[in-house]
Amino acid sequence: VLRLRRTPSAGMLVVRPADFPRDEQRRVAALEIQVGGGEPRDGRDWEAVGAACIAAAGEARRVAVDARGLAPADAVALATGATLRAWRFAALKAVPSPQRVELVTEAPDAPAWTAAAATLDAIAWTRTQVAEPANRLSPTEFSRRLRALREEGLHVEVIEADALRDLGAGGLLAVGGGSPHPPRLVMLRWKGAEGPPIAFVGKGLCFDTGGLSIKGAGGMEAMRADMAGAAACAGALLSLAKRRAKVHAVAVLAIAENVTGARSYRPGDVLRMASGRTVEVVDTDAEGRLVLADALHLAIQRCRPSAIVDAATLTGSILIALGHHRAGLFGTDAALLTAAAAAGEAVGERLWPMPLGEGFREAIRSPIADLKQCAPAGSGAWGGRLLPDASHAATFLREFVGDTPWAHLDIAGMDTAEDAEGLHAKGQPTGFGVRLLAELAERHARDR
Amino acid sequence: MLDIAFSKPAPSGGLPKAGALVLLLAEGAGLAGMGAALDAAMGGGLARAIAAAEFTGRKGQSLTLYAPHGALTRLVVLGLGSHDGMKLDEAGGALVPLLSKEREASVALDGLTAAQAAEVALGAALRAYRFDRYRTDEKPEDKPKLARLTLLTPELNAAKAAWGSLRPVAEGVFTARDLVSEPANVLTPIEAAERCRALEKLGVQVEILGPKEMRRLNFGAYLGVAQGSDNEPRMVVMRWNGAGAQGGKGRKPAKPLLFVGKGVTFDTGGISIKPAGGMEDMKWDMAGAGTVIGLMAALAGRKARADVVGVVGFVENMVGSNAQRPGDVVKTASGLTVEVINTDAEGRLVLADVLHYSIGRFDPAFVVDLATLTGAIIIALGHEHAGLFSNDETLAARIQAAGRAVGETAWRMPLDESYAKGLKSDIADLKNVGGRPGSSIAAAKFIERFVSGRPWAHLDIAGMAWSSKDTATVPKGATAWGLRLLDRLVAEHHEGQ
Repeated sequence: VLRLRRTPSAGMLVVRPADFPRDEQRRVAALEIQVGGGEPRDGRDWEAVGAACIAAAGEARRVAVDARGLAPADAVALATGATLRAWRFAALKAVPSPQRVELVTEAPDAPAWTAAAATLDAIAWTRTQVAEPANRLSPTEFSRRLRALREEGLHVEVIEADALRDLGAGGLLAVGGGSPHPPRLVMLRWKGAEGPPIAFVGKGLCFDTGGLSIKGAGGMEAMRADMAGAAACAGALLSLAKRRAKVHAVAVLAIAENVTGARSYRPGDVLRMASGRTVEVVDTDAEGRLVLADALHLAIQRCRPSAIVDAATLTGSILIALGHHRAGLFGTDAALLTAAAAAGEAVGERLWPMPLGEGFREAIRSPIADLKQCAPAGSGAWGGRLLPDASHAATFLREFVGDTPWAHLDIAGMDTAEDAEGLHAKGQPTGFGVRLLAELAERHARDR
Repeated sequence: MLDIAFSKPAPSGGLPKAGALVLLLAEGAGLAGMGAALDAAMGGGLARAIAAAEFTGRKGQSLTLYAPHGALTRLVVLGLGSHDGMKLDEAGGALVPLLSKEREASVALDGLTAAQAAEVALGAALRAYRFDRYRTDEKPEDKPKLARLTLLTPELNAAKAAWGSLRPVAEGVFTARDLVSEPANVLTPIEAAERCRALEKLGVQVEILGPKEMRRLNFGAYLGVAQGSDNEPRMVVMRWNGAGAQGGKGRKPAKPLLFVGKGVTFDTGGISIKPAGGMEDMKWDMAGAGTVIGLMAALAGRKARADVVGVVGFVENMVGSNAQRPGDVVKTASGLTVEVINTDAEGRLVLADVLHYSIGRFDPAFVVDLATLTGAIIIALGHEHAGLFSNDETLAARIQAAGRAVGETAWRMPLDESYAKGLKSDIADLKNVGGRPGSSIAAAKFIERFVSGRPWAHLDIAGMAWSSKDTATVPKGATAWGLRLLDRLVAEHHEGQ
């Protein structure tokens, strides 16, 4: 049992081992945890305390946190942080060693806990999908798991490759065409309210080799997580459904595998997209924007949303720009951008606004088609190496959203925890986007 | 510099006697003033030409008629776009290539204010800039001919007065562009510092510090960068005291404004050497310094009523046998030690010492630094915006507003503490680089350690200092990006009443 105690010096919480067996006690002896440079102020801070408790407990199988004396909301936040930090993808371990976290509180039935537990379940679902290796989570398997969300009260429709051909989804079909597991578009709906929905569009690349423009070998294994955007959108809907939230939301997920094969699409190919526009392929590793372009168009056409937000592990450029601490936020609608940024701050999944503009549009002008997919390598500054590809990609997507208020979250770099830090264990998926998108859906419903 | 003159249009719509004439038309506007007079003289031919060419006044649209009337050699009609979105400096710039075959041209400015007339003049002057010092065999017919632009405005005196405060800005821009355009075999740190002396005749106090002084000031980081080159480093301190006695007797003088520029006259990368492709661009790794020098010239030239200090650190980052190595630990003037992980992250080492020293010496109200600091900022923002990092909301907002007003936009970037994590060193207080992700932000976090908590803004201008193509007011080449922005910042907020 870890007991929290405020010390006279503000900002320090002392965690003390109490009822542990002797050997465990030694392991967690005399721990001091500094929390954000001051007394915990809000739920985010209490989540950080909970996570810090778990970090301090080390390998202990069973951790109980004594939260008596805390306000119920703070206790819930504490438990949320602890649970998120303790989570591991254990499905493939011969001897899974789950950690059990118990919260000792005077108000075990706080209604806030029910909502938090729903969100935690949804995050765990999303993290599981992101963690699953690509030999297990093929496009076929991913859409099967999405279909299973019907049990949670979501309406699920899977549009298979044949139907995609009828819809003219040339982007999604080209990207997924090289794989023996055909691409799909999966539509999830949570209708907790009337009126037009907010739509989330997710990039769901179960694996991304880069295609013929193949990636370097170093680090390629991380590309199993290139469906984190789709998993986050689905997780957000799952969380709304589990909480019976009074919002109307849809998720449109573009699911494919980008591999090298006899039927892979090629640099130089010109694709006709679902919207009818033509795109010249420059780099088959810039596939995310192609599948998103079709998904955005079809989502708008079919769902008539009042706002549309896409989430995608889209560019290495955003990683260079913003690192692992914030995702890039692009868009055309000031109110939606403000709401998205505020939702991110509220749940601790932080965004940073990034630019669109005419200058970027110029860079993706094609001599042969309506658009180039990206600016060619070598066309940038300083020997061609430096290209603002995140802004180019966002500018590309903008061509497919028409007048619908739109925001784009480039979450590359945010899907997996680089270090043991905050709410994530090292190397584990973060579930970034689940809470943010669910929060945004609720704010959007309130503001309308 | 293009010779700019102002003149009153002849009464009753009299037309210029010779040369070229320019009419500016907003979208949907009809011919008026001199345009109407010319149309009448042409028997309605101008209106017919405008219709035939489907000229609507869209921004940047132009129509040229040769020998339209009398002795006029050429008529250019230029579209200004919608009335609300007109950018007169850009219109002035857009005229220049259209008039390159003419020696003299007049611009009719009916309906525009004196300030707008001066903006047209500024844009034209800025676009007509050319760095041709090293062209020895250019044929005369290949050179642009335009030598004199006369702006015809009824508000003659007001326009001249407005131009009086813009002309020094143009001259400051040229000072900066000249410095940035110079190749590194000409513009060594010593040569660059000597050229700053030219500002003395504008009333700027210029002080030059060399390695001896730097050693005394404990500039370990700056000198570490310098030690691989035969060309000695030079730091230049420029002071313009324009606030004068306006505060009145007994009132404490306002704190000065401090501008600091990175002046790496050539950056090979040092031992962490850069790839060969594009390395020639590294002659403009002193563009931050060039802009600060040009800014001081502009402020002094227009007698800005503010106390301003400009400090630039010139140094060459070479691979001599004594060049600093990755792994070296240097001690900055502030006392903080830095482990040099990558010798190509040298700009922040220079800025660390220059910022610490100049903040300590001048106790400024705020400090703005300009530096071609990171390639990562180009990956983030391309060539559309400079990166703006600041610990002060007011200063950041003012910089962004000034940038929008003059067409030099700065995009705010984050400064969260979490971005400093990568700078932790096992052996020293700081590393000079973390990983690649978020590296522009990490660079800003590094610099932040040396500004003593002062209101501070850092402009990463790596994507903006040099233009690979002509734009409205900037010919291909050195841009002097940030100079007009900072001149505007000073004028709007720091020159009292």
